[in-house]
Amino acid sequence: MDRNVCIIAGGMSKWGVRSGSQRDFFQEAAKACYEDNPQVNPKEIDGLLVASAYTERTSYQTHLAPLVAEHIGVKPRSICARVELLCASGSSAIILAFGLIKAGQADMVMVMGGEKLYTPQKWEVFYSELASVDHDWDGPQGLGLPPPVFAMVAKQHMKQYGTKKEQLGAISVKNRRNAALNPKAQFQQGITHEEYMNARPIVQPLSLFDCCPITDGAAGVILCTEEKAKQLTDKPLVYLRGTGQASVNNMSANMPSWTTWEALKIASQEAYRKAKVEPKDVKVAMTHDCFTISEIIEMEDLGFCKKGEGGPFVGEGQNDIGGKVPTNTDGGLLGCGHPFGGTGIRQAIEVMRQLRGEAKQQVKGADIGLTHNLSGFIAAHTVLVYGREPV
Amino acid sequence: MTTPGISVLEGKYMVTMDLFPQQSKEFNQVFTFYENLKQGRFTTTKCADCGAESFPPRVMCPECFSTNMQWIDWPNEGTVIEFTEEVVGVPLGFGKAPLVHALVDLQGKKTMFVRVINCVEGQLKVGDKVRVAVFDVDPVPQEVKGGIQEIPRVFYAFEPVT
Repeated sequence: MDRNVCIIAGGMSKWGVRSGSQRDFFQEAAKACYEDNPQVNPKEIDGLLVASAYTERTSYQTHLAPLVAEHIGVKPRSICARVELLCASGSSAIILAFGLIKAGQADMVMVMGGEKLYTPQKWEVFYSELASVDHDWDGPQGLGLPPPVFAMVAKQHMKQYGTKKEQLGAISVKNRRNAALNPKAQFQQGITHEEYMNARPIVQPLSLFDCCPITDGAAGVILCTEEKAKQLTDKPLVYLRGTGQASVNNMSANMPSWTTWEALKIASQEAYRKAKVEPKDVKVAMTHDCFTISEIIEMEDLGFCKKGEGGPFVGEGQNDIGGKVPTNTDGGLLGCGHPFGGTGIRQAIEVMRQLRGEAKQQVKGADIGLTHNLSGFIAAHTVLVYGREPV
Repeated sequence: MTTPGISVLEGKYMVTMDLFPQQSKEFNQVFTFYENLKQGRFTTTKCADCGAESFPPRVMCPECFSTNMQWIDWPNEGTVIEFTEEVVGVPLGFGKAPLVHALVDLQGKKTMFVRVINCVEGQLKVGDKVRVAVFDVDPVPQEVKGGIQEIPRVFYAFEPVT
């Protein structure tokens, strides 16, 4: 019989352009996670999953999970492995931990994610991004770094639906403002709408504040059975209710549509079905705002507003505090930064805090929360739904 | 060639730092694509059993799972659906900014997300015709019995049809 799964602890290192190595950040994140729930004895954690995409490229390190286990004082016996799906590595690892615990193959799994992306010479991480797309076919077109892809998406969304640069700006201003309230975020200062509009162009129509940065840092959460969670926390229980992950293409030539993300629709419908919720039930969401346009399309394809109405929806503040679905209340990728493997874990931490009722910017009555990542050349989407009650 | 900080790598080839794919038959079963490309032909594989035309070229048909593949010519000219110019962050190996990217309708076969070369800044327009442009890239010094053999390589971008 399936078991219910709860998230009972979470913490992260400071994110940003950091001094230190990958293993340093994993230790900082583990420490923060342990401090979040002192009732958990790390020696009793039976599984460890570690999400990291660039560990081989920027830290020259494979076989990462046992290394992290050794450094954070965990002795896994049910699972000890690394998980990689680039920007969705962290959420993928949470899905796997969920499945293992649900099925009785593990009882308490720590899920960590993080990267050391900046190397002694900065060109290397940008160069390594050629590994993130189809290296043989998209990489040689100069498409390793994502801004051109999302610029093309934004241009088409603007043309097709009348989405405006000012509406992209609403996302940037909101998420940077939220990040300024999050001491772990890369950016500690908000931006004004004027600063947004006057920023230097990167790839038309995207300018500097439309793009998330490259980030060093790590994060960790602990998942366990409902039974253990009842013993190990006095806080409100937060359940993982349902997940979906979909891919319909990888190479750009096989993308069905650049402005309607089919894989996101599939992944979210799967997650909603398993979680027995509808889009209107979601009270708080952490979606993948790697670029401002992404968050707009995500509002549409997650079903929070009608197709094509993402621009007005965010322009009217419907995904800000006080709106229909407050989104990226901790600052998102635009504000917190994006150490690939860490991002899904950071999102889980913020949703956990929101559902516990202890978030910095608490959404009133938050009982259902959602996290979303896109990864690669918009080639896969990952959606997780959490709740205050089990399914 | 020296590699600062890693003196043991002096003169060594590193596949993990190569922008372009391997194109020799020893390292790539779809090497025919590049052999055809050298002759100006833009080709892909068609499944001889179900007729599906896939891109990139395949060893196995993803529709019917047959391995009975044949090479066919695809159009080497298409129409610009949308484009953008990358002014900041042009990756190493792709020249000076701006790098022009375009979505090109390849006569209904696929919409290709490609780089447009031989194109002056501000020149490209939606609806323009562009064609496959083949260029040489660094050869790979591949180990063979008794030494090193230079494997010549090419790749493609698109260029305006003038």
